[in-house]
Amino acid sequence: MNDRIVFQDVSKFYGEILGVNRVNLSIPHGVTSLVGPNGSGKTTLMNLMTGLVRPTRGHVQILEYAPDEPEKLFGILGYSTQFDSFPKGLSGFQFVSSYLRLAGQDAKTADDLAWRAIERVNLAEAAQRSVASYSKGMRQRIRLAQALCRNPRVLVMDEPLNGLDPLARAEMIALFREVAADGRYVIISSHILHEVDAISDQVILMSNGYVVAEGQIHSVRNEIQEHPAQILMRCNRPREVAAKLMMSEQTIEVRIHSDEGGLLLKTRDPDRFYLMLNQIALSGIDIESVAPADDDVNSVYEYLIGNDEVVR
Amino acid sequence: MTRLWWNQIRSVIRLEMKKTFFARRGLWIYLLALLPLLLFTGHSIQSSRQQARRQRLVSQGEKKLMYRDLLAVRSDMTSEEVIALLGRPPSRFHWNEQTPSGNDSFVVVPHESYHYSDGSGDLYVELANGKVTSVEVRDGYNRGEDSVIFAGVFQFFYLRLAVFFGCLGIFMNLFRGEILDKSLHFYFLAPIRREVLMVGKFLAGLLATCVIFVASELLQIILFISSFTPNAQDLYLFHYHGIGNSVAYLGITALACLGYGAFFLAAGMLFRNPILPAAGILIWEALNPFLPALLQKFSVIYYLKALCPVDIPVPPGTPPVFALLVSNSDPVSPPVAILGVVLMAGLVLYVSTLQVRRMEINYTTE
Amino acid sequence: MAVYRRTYTSYSGPLTPAWSRWLVLFRYSRSSLFRSKLQTGLFVLCFFYPLVCLLTIYLAHNLSFLAKLGAVGGQILTIDNKFFYYFVNVQGVLAFVLTAFMGPGLISPDIANGALPLYFCRPFSRAEYVLGKASVLAILLSQIMWIPGLILFAVQASLAGSAWTWDHLWIAWSLILACWIWIAILSLLAMALSAWVKWRIVAGALLLAVLFFGAGFGQAVNVVMRTQLGHFLDVVYLMSTVWNGLFRVGDKRALSSLEAYLALSAFCAICLALLIRKVRAYEVVR
Repeated sequence: MNDRIVFQDVSKFYGEILGVNRVNLSIPHGVTSLVGPNGSGKTTLMNLMTGLVRPTRGHVQILEYAPDEPEKLFGILGYSTQFDSFPKGLSGFQFVSSYLRLAGQDAKTADDLAWRAIERVNLAEAAQRSVASYSKGMRQRIRLAQALCRNPRVLVMDEPLNGLDPLARAEMIALFREVAADGRYVIISSHILHEVDAISDQVILMSNGYVVAEGQIHSVRNEIQEHPAQILMRCNRPREVAAKLMMSEQTIEVRIHSDEGGLLLKTRDPDRFYLMLNQIALSGIDIESVAPADDDVNSVYEYLIGNDEVVR
Repeated sequence: MTRLWWNQIRSVIRLEMKKTFFARRGLWIYLLALLPLLLFTGHSIQSSRQQARRQRLVSQGEKKLMYRDLLAVRSDMTSEEVIALLGRPPSRFHWNEQTPSGNDSFVVVPHESYHYSDGSGDLYVELANGKVTSVEVRDGYNRGEDSVIFAGVFQFFYLRLAVFFGCLGIFMNLFRGEILDKSLHFYFLAPIRREVLMVGKFLAGLLATCVIFVASELLQIILFISSFTPNAQDLYLFHYHGIGNSVAYLGITALACLGYGAFFLAAGMLFRNPILPAAGILIWEALNPFLPALLQKFSVIYYLKALCPVDIPVPPGTPPVFALLVSNSDPVSPPVAILGVVLMAGLVLYVSTLQVRRMEINYTTE
Repeated sequence: MAVYRRTYTSYSGPLTPAWSRWLVLFRYSRSSLFRSKLQTGLFVLCFFYPLVCLLTIYLAHNLSFLAKLGAVGGQILTIDNKFFYYFVNVQGVLAFVLTAFMGPGLISPDIANGALPLYFCRPFSRAEYVLGKASVLAILLSQIMWIPGLILFAVQASLAGSAWTWDHLWIAWSLILACWIWIAILSLLAMALSAWVKWRIVAGALLLAVLFFGAGFGQAVNVVMRTQLGHFLDVVYLMSTVWNGLFRVGDKRALSSLEAYLALSAFCAICLALLIRKVRAYEVVR
């Protein structure tokens, strides 16, 4: 498939230590988030994608290129790594422009593209300073600038929001959305789950080197049968609603809020609940809001990975 | 495609030049190249001071002496005979020594030291009680001997130690240093073929080592020649292959940078601790004369020795083991030697290209 | 009240004596040395020659017995000052090789990983830090130098009798002094280079370079300047001169023992100065 990033039965071992094992993925365009605890294999997956490490077994394909052809692959891919180290003696501008010169660009083009990328990450004022004097957030942004400078079709970023203040994070998220909106591939890894929730089209959850789940959040959540869906409802007569809901055999638990203004429902079949909602509304009960309480990355993470972490 | 590669190689070289030429951590390589310069500067200053002192002795002497006059002094002569032969000494020291003469008594013995010169050599005569006790003739300027000394310093010190360790420092840094600095991924994430990257880095290292060490060698040659008298300089340069020898020394230095550079670039990629192979190469090169003929050919110094313009004679009485180290018993012809170094470097670089494609970034294990 | 104040109490038990705290460094540094199979193998190899010497001493005494029976002619092996001089030479070379492998990793990683401020924010002085690191090499090299040397001397003394022992007791003192001087030089040099460069590998290369290059440059100075002063740059020659004097071998030397001692003292002072300059709780990054 030339329009996807494909991992076919990919495993990577560092000696006896497992990096990733039997990963099968097909990543479409849009924003895809890699989520998982430390040591789950997110960075290994990204490094496999970009050829920095070679798979012990299996095959990786990035659109129409293989990772062992860097001269072709990095024409369409930009990677912002987690490594917080830079070639010595370079300013921020030189860091980006020398990367472009390595790509074979002439001096003028390299300078133009470098400035454009640096302005895009709002680092123009500090561009001429040495990278060694940058703060953590500035170093993160200059790495992003380097990844973006050639307008790549595939943008891979390892914890791109690390070290950024809230304003900068919001700017970067808007940038990722802008890039993805053009039909490009944006793959990010992050621990900030609510932001992953906000920007991702699909997620890949990893734990202990295995892919635990992948796809859109909603679809992933629906497939988790062992954790009943939780739905929050705000209404004026929660006890009446609770009584009606308890009559359904799919309902596991109903908890009334302490302010008597709503309830939390746990049900095995949320679709049936949504069907019942019409009847509840028609029976004269004022419903202020109905929203899933655990249809997000945080909850999915807790269900699929969180318990494993506790057990470990 | 070729034009793209050349642009990329130039970019790599430009990046490396900053790190190699102008970084503080590279200062010790300049020191390696500077020390022989200091040595020959000292030699040049010493030679000119000695020459000036000889001229002073000649001008202060009673007679104008020839070299054969200096050789005419014998141990059984008296001070009067010496003065009659050579004139009053221009430099003379006198002192007394107490010598035991038995029965707890001492005799005062007058001692003298005469110093003559014919302008190029020195004669030192020690006398006790008016009789000559020791005669020493020192040749001042001896172009042949100095050429051999220069050749010996070049072959045994400059090539095998200065250039060796300089290349070790520069070429090992190219990849292993990037891994230790955790900055190799910067290059691997660029759209550049890894072989092109490796060639670029190698050429950068070669350029740096050649500039530093060939320049140092050139300055050493200039300082060496400057210690001759003007006539001797003309003779050496235009009649005794001085220019040819100088070009040979510079070329050999460049070839040494090429040969050692290729080995250390490969060692930096293949080994986590390149000191092990470096020590191995040092010992291998040292033991080269004792190896079988086929194994001798896998050595940079084997070919470079054959290119050296001045043969180093084995001093009489040297044990056979050391004589083997000094002599070049089976030299190859210069074209074969040059080809040998180039082919060997090429072979090692080819192996390096195979390795660079397989390299992975894993800083945590370093 | 902040949560931590409810449960945290400072340690109120007995403390280890302050003078022994440098041993913590010794224990942890030493444990990391033998993680490498190569280094462990090299360490074991260093005992090969002492075993050969032990066998030689045994044979020397039995060969002379056999000679009395007329089985073997004459006394072939002599155990004297030269025997121990050669022992110190061989073990000295092995000590250098061992130091080249194990020495660079003593201080370089601490500087590279920014651990020095962590050490010095404890009640831990720079001298204790250096002592702790130096003790690793000192004890390691002692195990392959003067300790087996003294064992050989004791075996020889027990086989040769009290007369030989009293006549040659000075060899034991010379052995200890000769070994300790070399151990001190190697330890200071390895630590100074390890402190000066952040990379363990480069420190190892510099260690090789200082000895080989120094010797080579010293020889070049002697040949070009027609002098003997170049020997002052050759640490190996200086040490060999000192050993020559201590073991009364009598080989003709270009420098006197006193000159060699002074040169080595200057060398040690330079290494100490480098250590003082670099082992600090802070680092200026330019």
